[in-house]
Amino acid sequence: MIVTFILAAEVLREALRRRWILALGVAITLFLVLTFGALRLEVVDGALSATRLFGRNVDVNIRSIDIALRPVFKASAYLIFYGGITFGTITCAEFAPKLLSPGRIEHLLSQPVRRSEIIVGTFLGVWALASGAMLYAAVGFAVILSAKTGVSITGPVVAALLSSLAWAAIYSVMLATSAWVRSTALSATVGLGVLIGGVIAGHRSALLQLFAPGLGRAFFSFVSLLLPKISALAEVTGKLAGSEPVPVASVLVLIAGFLVFSLAGLLVAVVCFERKDF
Amino acid sequence: MPGEPPFNVDQPASRSLEPGREFAVEVSALSKTFASGVFGSNRKRVLEDVTFRVVRGQALGVIGPNGAGKTTLVKLLLTVVRPSSGKIRIFGENPENPRVRRRIGYLPERLALPASATPMQHLTSLARIRRLADGPFDAERQLARVTMTADAHRRMGPFSKGMKQRVGLAAALLGAPDLLVLDEPTDGLDPIGRAEFRDIVYEEKRRGATVILNSHLLAEAAKICDEVAVLFGGTVAAQGNIRELCTSKTRFRARFTANSPEPAILNAGFVRADDPGTFIFNTEELETLNAALDRSRAAGALLMELGPELRDLEDVLREAVGR
Repeated sequence: MIVTFILAAEVLREALRRRWILALGVAITLFLVLTFGALRLEVVDGALSATRLFGRNVDVNIRSIDIALRPVFKASAYLIFYGGITFGTITCAEFAPKLLSPGRIEHLLSQPVRRSEIIVGTFLGVWALASGAMLYAAVGFAVILSAKTGVSITGPVVAALLSSLAWAAIYSVMLATSAWVRSTALSATVGLGVLIGGVIAGHRSALLQLFAPGLGRAFFSFVSLLLPKISALAEVTGKLAGSEPVPVASVLVLIAGFLVFSLAGLLVAVVCFERKDF
Repeated sequence: MPGEPPFNVDQPASRSLEPGREFAVEVSALSKTFASGVFGSNRKRVLEDVTFRVVRGQALGVIGPNGAGKTTLVKLLLTVVRPSSGKIRIFGENPENPRVRRRIGYLPERLALPASATPMQHLTSLARIRRLADGPFDAERQLARVTMTADAHRRMGPFSKGMKQRVGLAAALLGAPDLLVLDEPTDGLDPIGRAEFRDIVYEEKRRGATVILNSHLLAEAAKICDEVAVLFGGTVAAQGNIRELCTSKTRFRARFTANSPEPAILNAGFVRADDPGTFIFNTEELETLNAALDRSRAAGALLMELGPELRDLEDVLREAVGR
C-alpha cells in the first residue's frame, strides 16, 4: 500500500518537472490575475446587492448577493467543472502511455512493486495532479469573487471537488484503455467520449422519452445506464454554487455511482495490466 | 591470435563452486508463446523448454543470434513477460514476489529515461520505490561509479545513448543487488566506457553478486562470464563453462621444434596450422592422436607443446546453431 503512494508521489514529481505543466500553472495564475483585474463587481451596502458586472448594471433591485449573482456563481461553477474535466482529459492523456512506453515499463516492472500498485499509483498521481490544478484555479476564482463581493464564496471550490470526482471516473477508463492499447490519442479520445457520453447520460430520463420502443431505445437505455452521469453532477455543482436546494439523498447516490464507476474502471485497468506482456 | 585463450584469464575469480551450492537462478522447462492478432489467433513460440541454473556469485552470458529469445528470457526472469509454462526461481523464490525483485538490478535493452528528470532525480526516485534507506547517498555513489557525477544534475533529455546507458547501469546498481541482469549493457558505450563497465561488473562479482549478461558481443561475454548459454530457436543449444565450451574435444594443436621433419608430421595425419611449426590433428580418439604422435616422433619430430584447440565463442555459437 505504501508503495502505491510512493509511486503516486513519483508520478506527481515527474509531472511537476515537465516544463509544460509548470507553464500551465503560470497560465492559470495569469488567467486569475486578468480576471481579478477585469471583473468589476460593485456591491452596495455590504452583501445585500450586486449592481454591476464588467461595468454594466446587472440588477437594480436590492437583493441578497447570492441571488443577485447567482448566474455568475453558476457560470463559474460550470466553468471550473467542465473546464477542469476537459483540462484533465487532454493534458493527462499521455501520462499512462508514456509510463508504459518500451524501455520504461520493463524497468518499472523489474522494481519491487506489484503491477496493481503501478496502476493504482499512476491513477492516484495523475488524479492528484489534475485535481490540484482544478482546486488551484477554483480557489483562486473563489478568492477573487469573495474579494470583489465581500462575502465568502465556496461555489467554485465545491465545483472543483465534484469535477475531480467526475474526472476520476473518466480517467479510470482512460487508464484502462492505456493498459490495453498504449496510445495517447486513443486514451484522450476515449476520455472525451466518456465525457460526452456522460453529459448525454445525465439527461437519460428526458432523452429516453424521445426514443420509440425497440432495440434503439433498449441500447440507449443500457449504455446510458452504465455511463457516469456527468451533466447531472454538473447540475448539482451549479445548484450548490448558486445556493439552490439540492436533494441530498439523490446527490449521495450520484456520488456513490461515480465512485463505483471509478473503481470498476480501475479494476478493469488492473486486470488488463496484469495479463499483459511487455 | 591463434592458440590464445579467448577469455580473460586475469578476470577476478568468482566464488568457488561447491557441490550442492545454492543457485541464484533456476529455470526449468520454461516456454513462452506470444499470441497476437484477433483473439490471439497468431501464436508464436519464442522459448521452448528452456532449463538452466546459475550458481550464486557466477556470471552467465546468454548469447545467440537475433530472434533467439534472449531478451524474452531476461524479461521472463523479471516478470515483465509471463511464462506460458515452466518454472522460474530466483534465490529460491518466485520472482513475482516483490521481495525477490528488491534483490535484482536490471538494465533493459531499450532504456527510456524520463527526459525532464536529472540522473540524480531519477535514481533517488528509484531508491524511494525500492525503499532504500540511504537512497540519495547511494544514488550519488553509483553515479560516481559510472563517471556521471558531472552530469548528475542536468536534464537527461539531450543525453547521448552512452550517457543514458551509464545512468541505466547506475540505476541497476542501486541498493547493491544480489543479482544483476544486464541486457546489452555496452550498447552505445565507447571502448573506454566498455572497459569501465567491465571493471564495474568485476567489482560486483567480487562483492558476490550474480550476473546474467545478455550480449551479442561475444568477446565481452567471454571476458566477463564464467558460463554461457547459447540460445537458438528458443531453446538452449549449448550451455556450460566458457573454458570447457571453448576447448575442442576433437581438435588438437601440436607444436614441434623447428628442425622437425614436416613431411613426416603431415604423413602422420597432422595438418599445417597458421603458426610455423604448429599442426592440427582432428580426432575424437586419444589413441589415434597418440599413434600419430608416435609416428611423427619415430620419424625424428620433437614435440614441444600439445593441447586441445581453443576456439572462440563465435565458433561455439556457430557450432551450436549449425551455421
